[in-house]
Amino acid sequence: MKKIVFLFGLIILTAAVSAQDKYFTKAGKIHFDATTSSSPENVDGVNKSSICVMDTKTGNIQFSVLMKGFEFERALMQEHFNENYVESNKFPKTEFKGMITNNASVNYTKDGVYPVKVKGKLTMHGETKDIEADGKLTVKGGKISANADFPVTLADFKVTIPQLVADKVAKMAKITVDCVLEPLK
Amino acid sequence: MKKKRNLRNVLLVVLILGIGAAVYGYKEFNRKSESITNKTADFKVKPLDIISAFTADEKAATLKYGGKIIQVAGLVKKVDKDEQGNYTIVIGDNSSLSSVRCSIDSLFSKDVTALQLNAPAFLKGICTGFNADEMGLGSDVILNKCVIVKD
Repeated sequence: MKKIVFLFGLIILTAAVSAQDKYFTKAGKIHFDATTSSSPENVDGVNKSSICVMDTKTGNIQFSVLMKGFEFERALMQEHFNENYVESNKFPKTEFKGMITNNASVNYTKDGVYPVKVKGKLTMHGETKDIEADGKLTVKGGKISANADFPVTLADFKVTIPQLVADKVAKMAKITVDCVLEPLK
Repeated sequence: MKKKRNLRNVLLVVLILGIGAAVYGYKEFNRKSESITNKTADFKVKPLDIISAFTADEKAATLKYGGKIIQVAGLVKKVDKDEQGNYTIVIGDNSSLSSVRCSIDSLFSKDVTALQLNAPAFLKGICTGFNADEMGLGSDVILNKCVIVKD
C-alpha cells in the first residue's frame, strides 16, 4: 500500500515539475510587414491572439497563428491579404515548430536578457520550410518575454503577389514575434 | 453638327464615369477597418455551443462562423491586458480550459471597466477561427475587434 501511495505521489510530483517547465501565452503578437520603399503606404498587419508554448527544459517552442486574425489599418489590404495572398479560408493557420538551439545558455531561474537562436519548421499557406532566427528571451518576475524577427520569402510559401502591385509589396516579408509567456500551471 | 454633339455627349459620359471610378477607387483604397458596434450579429451563441461546433467539425464551423459577426453570452473568466493596453476578455466556464477569447477593439477599451469577473457579459466580434487543444491549453474560439453589448 505504501508503495502505491509513494508511486502515486511520484507521478503527481513529476507532472507538477514538468508543468513548471512549460510557459505559454494565448495573446502573443506576430507582426507581418511587407512594406517596400515604393509602397504607397505600410503593408503591415498584426495578430494579437497567437498561441506560443515553450518548454524551458528541452527548448522546444511552438507557435500557432490564425491568419484571419491579422489586423490591417486598411480594410482592402486585409481583404486582399486573406483572399488573394494567404488564402486564409483554405489555409487558416500558420504554425511553427522548433527549438532553441542554445537553450543550455539560458538561465530561466535568473532574471536577465538572453540571446537565443531558434531553428524549426514554419508551415504557412500549406508549405513547410526550415526557418532559423536570432532572438532574445527576457526572464523577469517569473515571466519570459520572447522577441525575434526574421525574413520570410513569400514565394517559398507559394504566396503570389499580382503583377499589378508586385513592386509595392515586398517579396520578402519581415515577421516580428513579441510574446510574454507565463508558467503553465 | 449632330455628330459633334454626339461625340461631346459620349465624352461627357466617359468623363463622369471616369471621375466616379476614381472617387470609388480612392474611397475603397482608403477604407478603414470599421468598428462593428452598429452591425447586427450574424449569430448569437453560448460559449459551449460554438466551442462544441468547432470541436465536432472545425472545417464546417470555420465555413459557417469564420469572418462572421458573433455575439457571445457567458461568464467572464478572465480579463487580460497587455503592455500596450490591449484587452482580451475570456468568456466561458471556469471548470473548462476551453473558452471564447474576445480581443477588444482598442476604440472601446474603456468599456471593459464595466465587466466583472464571473459575471455574465455579452460581447460581439468577428470570428477569426479556432485553436484546437493541440498543446494542452484548452480549445479556443477567437473573436477580433470585439465590443461589449447590452444583450
